[in-house]
Amino acid sequence: MRRKAVEIINFTKKFGDFTAVEDLNLDIYENEIFGLLGPNGSGKTTTLLTIATVYKPTSGDIYVYGHSVTREDYEVRKLVGIAFQEPKAMWIDKAIDLLTWHARIVGYPREEAKRVVREVMELLGLWEHRNKYFYQLSGGTRKKVELAKVLIQKPRIAILDEPTAQVDVLSKHALWDVIKKLRSEGTTVIIATNDMFEAERVCERIAIIYRGKLRALGTISELKDSVPKGDIIEIQVQEELRDREALRELEVFGRVSVNSDMITIYSDKAEEKVVDVIDALRKRGLQVKRIMVKEPSLDDVFTYLTGAKLRE
Amino acid sequence: MIYDFFELTTQAYTVALRDLKRFWQNIYWLAGQVAMNIADLLIFGLIFRGIVRPDLIPDYIRFITPGILCLSIFISSFTIGREVGVELRREVTHYLVSLPITRGALVAGRVLGGVLRGLMYQVGFLILAVLIMTPPTLDKWILILAASIFISVTMSSLSITLVTLTRDFNIQAAIRSLVYFVFFFMSNVFYPERALRARLGPVAPVALYSPVSMAVTIYRYGFGYSTEVDLVFNTAGLLLWSTATVLLAYKLYIRNLRR
Ligand SMILES: Nc1ncnc2c1ncn2[C@@H]1O[C@H](COP(=O)(O)OP(=O)(O)OP(=O)(O)O)[C@@H](O)[C@H]1O
Ligand SMILES: [Mg+2]
Repeated sequence: MRRKAVEIINFTKKFGDFTAVEDLNLDIYENEIFGLLGPNGSGKTTTLLTIATVYKPTSGDIYVYGHSVTREDYEVRKLVGIAFQEPKAMWIDKAIDLLTWHARIVGYPREEAKRVVREVMELLGLWEHRNKYFYQLSGGTRKKVELAKVLIQKPRIAILDEPTAQVDVLSKHALWDVIKKLRSEGTTVIIATNDMFEAERVCERIAIIYRGKLRALGTISELKDSVPKGDIIEIQVQEELRDREALRELEVFGRVSVNSDMITIYSDKAEEKVVDVIDALRKRGLQVKRIMVKEPSLDDVFTYLTGAKLRE
Repeated sequence: MIYDFFELTTQAYTVALRDLKRFWQNIYWLAGQVAMNIADLLIFGLIFRGIVRPDLIPDYIRFITPGILCLSIFISSFTIGREVGVELRREVTHYLVSLPITRGALVAGRVLGGVLRGLMYQVGFLILAVLIMTPPTLDKWILILAASIFISVTMSSLSITLVTLTRDFNIQAAIRSLVYFVFFFMSNVFYPERALRARLGPVAPVALYSPVSMAVTIYRYGFGYSTEVDLVFNTAGLLLWSTATVLLAYKLYIRNLRR
């Protein structure tokens, strides 16, 4: 058994009457890179902020190495470092001052702080921006400054809320390497993202949450296997499918999800069914532009679990 | 225990440094404030000097200078509230509460930041007071310093407390003006105790229990304007004010930070 770094138990968070996260149960193990995946507003940030003791649970509790976020928040904060989704800084601070102060407050002596700040800023390509005020930095650069805080801190648990959002493709790859290196130095990493590619590239285990509830949990291959009908038929039609009758007809082949002009059918023995599917659509007067049979990707798992819009 | 205290102090000190540094960044704002405070001193001092009855206040400029000392602390220490307010609106507070420090250290650091702002800003006005009034002896300096510390603790705690009541910038500004009005016009800054008692009647004690009045009374004694002063009442009163407001700031700031 691997040691649990974070234990989320019956965690519920409400804002007024609105339930942002509902009865979440989740274990995150020491030294893994754990992904929290979900569409906008699904409760990722809310969960991460509660682990970082910024929010209090409405009910349930979260334990970080056995310390409760409600009762032993200071103990928890000593173990956790967080890079926020929206970079948090006063606009009149210079990048270097911001990070130097951060280094001091997380415990570095003065000289040591200067050294580590320079090291991390150079690593992330921030050194040339060091004397810019925060408001002068571009969106992606601000995100890097945010990440730099965690790299400076080297916490036992690093929480990264969409660390590569707004970051260009080249930098993204570099940041993923940096994140993996952080893990190899002993840090447990928790990443929130809605970027499937990022999740597949970086995370070892993933939880998919949707509307505040846990929908799936496992390694990437486990999640792919969890799509009950192993094959996927993807059909692009001439125009958006609004016909509920047609949808119902398609459901004899498997679970259906529709996203504008894309129809996805989760099925088995897909090759044999393709002809029937096209037939069924033709009868309904729907022109098929393109049809494809494939193995599920993480995208498909995600769509399968969260995307069946017409059904809800 | 001792280690805990050491830890708390270093953390609070680091937090305070952040606030202090930012204070000096607003150099133009500072210059404007200083100019305004000196203008207050001159206008009140020189104009009222000829208007106010000399048997009530023999020399208005010597009368008003201790009040300006107190005003300078109010102006500078209260800026910490503005800072905290901006942070609350931009959710920079999320960052602050996620740091590996205790909540006590965070609040203590913010208050200390306000105190340091107050004391440093006041230095120039203290020099001015020495020039205008009677230079204090060492024991009086200690008293003056104590009054300055207490009043700046009170003012920064109060500003932090008030700013957490609403996130609306305009309401925050309105509250700040209201506080200024209540504390300065309901005090002995502009008129002497005798006038207060005559005009306000039963409400007069309220003005005299105000922390501003207490600090000004001590300053007047320290700089040799008045001699008959109840030092125990005024120092103890200030101590009480600063303790109460710090506790209030702690409670409200923390409640507001972690939801
Ligand atoms: N402080 C708050 N007050 C009220 N509602 C909130 C607050 N914070 C979050 N919410 C609501 O809670 C839900 C979850 O928000 P959260 O920020 O956790 O989502 P998320 O998964 O991080 O989304 P995104 O991918 O857009 O970052 C949303 O519906 C949001 O509107
Ligand atoms: Mg989010």
